[in-house]
Amino acid sequence: MENDHLQNYLSDWLVKYELVHRSLGFDSRGIETLQIKVEDWDSIAVIFYVYGYNYLRSQCVYDVAPGGFLGSVYHLTKIQYGTYNPEEVCIKVFVPRKNPRIPSVFWIWRSADFQERESYDMLGISYENHPRLKRILMPESWIGWPLRKDYITPNFYEIQDAR
Amino acid sequence: MTVPVTRKDLMIVNMGPHHPSMHGVLRLILTLDGEDVIDCEPILGYLHRGMEKIAENRTILQYLPYVTRWDYLATMFTEAITVNAPEKLENVQVPQRASYIRVIMLELSRIASHLLWLGPFMADIGAQTPFFYIFRERELIYNLFEAATGMRMMHNYFRIGGVAADLPYGWIEKCFDFCDYFLTGVVEYQKLITRNPIFLERVEGVGIIGGEEAVNWGLSGPMLRASGIQWDLRKVDNYECYNEFDWEIQWQKEGDSLARYLVRIGEMKESIKMIQQALEGIPGGPYENLEVRRFDRAKNSEWNDFAYRFKSKKPSPNFELSKQELYARVEAPKGELGIYLIGDNSVFPWRWKIRPPGFINLQILPELVKRMKLADIMTILGSIDIIMGEVDR
Repeated sequence: MENDHLQNYLSDWLVKYELVHRSLGFDSRGIETLQIKVEDWDSIAVIFYVYGYNYLRSQCVYDVAPGGFLGSVYHLTKIQYGTYNPEEVCIKVFVPRKNPRIPSVFWIWRSADFQERESYDMLGISYENHPRLKRILMPESWIGWPLRKDYITPNFYEIQDAR
Repeated sequence: MTVPVTRKDLMIVNMGPHHPSMHGVLRLILTLDGEDVIDCEPILGYLHRGMEKIAENRTILQYLPYVTRWDYLATMFTEAITVNAPEKLENVQVPQRASYIRVIMLELSRIASHLLWLGPFMADIGAQTPFFYIFRERELIYNLFEAATGMRMMHNYFRIGGVAADLPYGWIEKCFDFCDYFLTGVVEYQKLITRNPIFLERVEGVGIIGGEEAVNWGLSGPMLRASGIQWDLRKVDNYECYNEFDWEIQWQKEGDSLARYLVRIGEMKESIKMIQQALEGIPGGPYENLEVRRFDRAKNSEWNDFAYRFKSKKPSPNFELSKQELYARVEAPKGELGIYLIGDNSVFPWRWKIRPPGFINLQILPELVKRMKLADIMTILGSIDIIMGEVDR
């Protein structure tokens, strides 16, 4: 369901408590998107949990631009008894490519366990305080971060005509 | 004569990637103390095919044959989400008839998936017979799918804006016959399984998950509903035309494996109710969105003329995704299947992230088996209902 009146509810609430964030507008369905800085992320994540967002639906990472930042996206929802119009928010944390480290939210939302491992595996963002951060989908001895846009598949040669 | 000394160390056992059950290639490294399980570590990745990376280089139409290989038992859901995500991104309307056809196919696929969950679940517990019974019903569903889509399992049926082809003549009557037959089939399963004392001993009280814990671990689907949380995306999100049917959310309170079994059996019966209502109420009309939308980069291009508007009926090959992002989801039989799609102003998506229900539901396995006996692992693993195609992608 789209929010009919697109208002920055969560952004206004965060401003009221003077928490540093940036509102990134709304995505295609009208879900509010916020950007949080890496240093503040662990404290703001606890604040969101206390505010009622108890369901971490999906955590993914993406490459913003080749050579640019890497973004870690968290989709949070409130599951409450008897509501059929849940509040949702999408939070993005951007890290530079050179040393990508983000505090882990495993201890707040357990569902980040495998998802953060997969983000580490595919893009190389290492999550601090995650209990078992190792590769999950690729073999443990793999080198390289497959889902980055500048990843070159090793030993992959295309057939070319000999000229 | 030496007397052997009983060693008191913990034993590490490997339930290797190959095992005689239809879960797929999942490797569990168990630390055992006699018959009790101390710890369990699942190792995934044996079926990783790089679906997300491939999606960045395919148009939606080219990608549709790939998606049925994620969850190969409930294939309509993977296609539905692949098609729903760009539709929501670009606001493409789906005609009523197409929406009804989609709902019928999705609910048939849900029944098929729950049936093929039930067979291996019972086989893991030890009862081999239901494994053959489910294939009898699943063959009937395969026949219906083959008549409508041309393929028994990997149908390439959904398109952006509708479905690929209309239902053949007489399909609706066959589907009604299937629904009537299936209700007697479910009664047979209940007589055989649900009140069976051996089954209840194995399954009751095994792998209990509390409601709050289930939400914290991010579970979805029957696992969440069996723990007392009435969360069903078909009611919450109101996608397709589910709000026009009269059906109830199946849920239980206990949170053990028996509750999950009852939720899935209940869902099969609700699906039959929904299919019957949809078959009775299916409207006429187009099964596809026939409007071609071309980005009018050149303002007075001849391609926007009336003569060309209905010429090419399938918009997908040139369907461009605008530069927005979206998280779309459906209620798959295993849980919440979601796609986080970031479009780029081109025919290929910039990022296609698949949120697989099996992957997230599998996280709770080490927690659940911690104090259980060795034999309960298969019960718990079976009741989580995972399929490695979507866990590994």
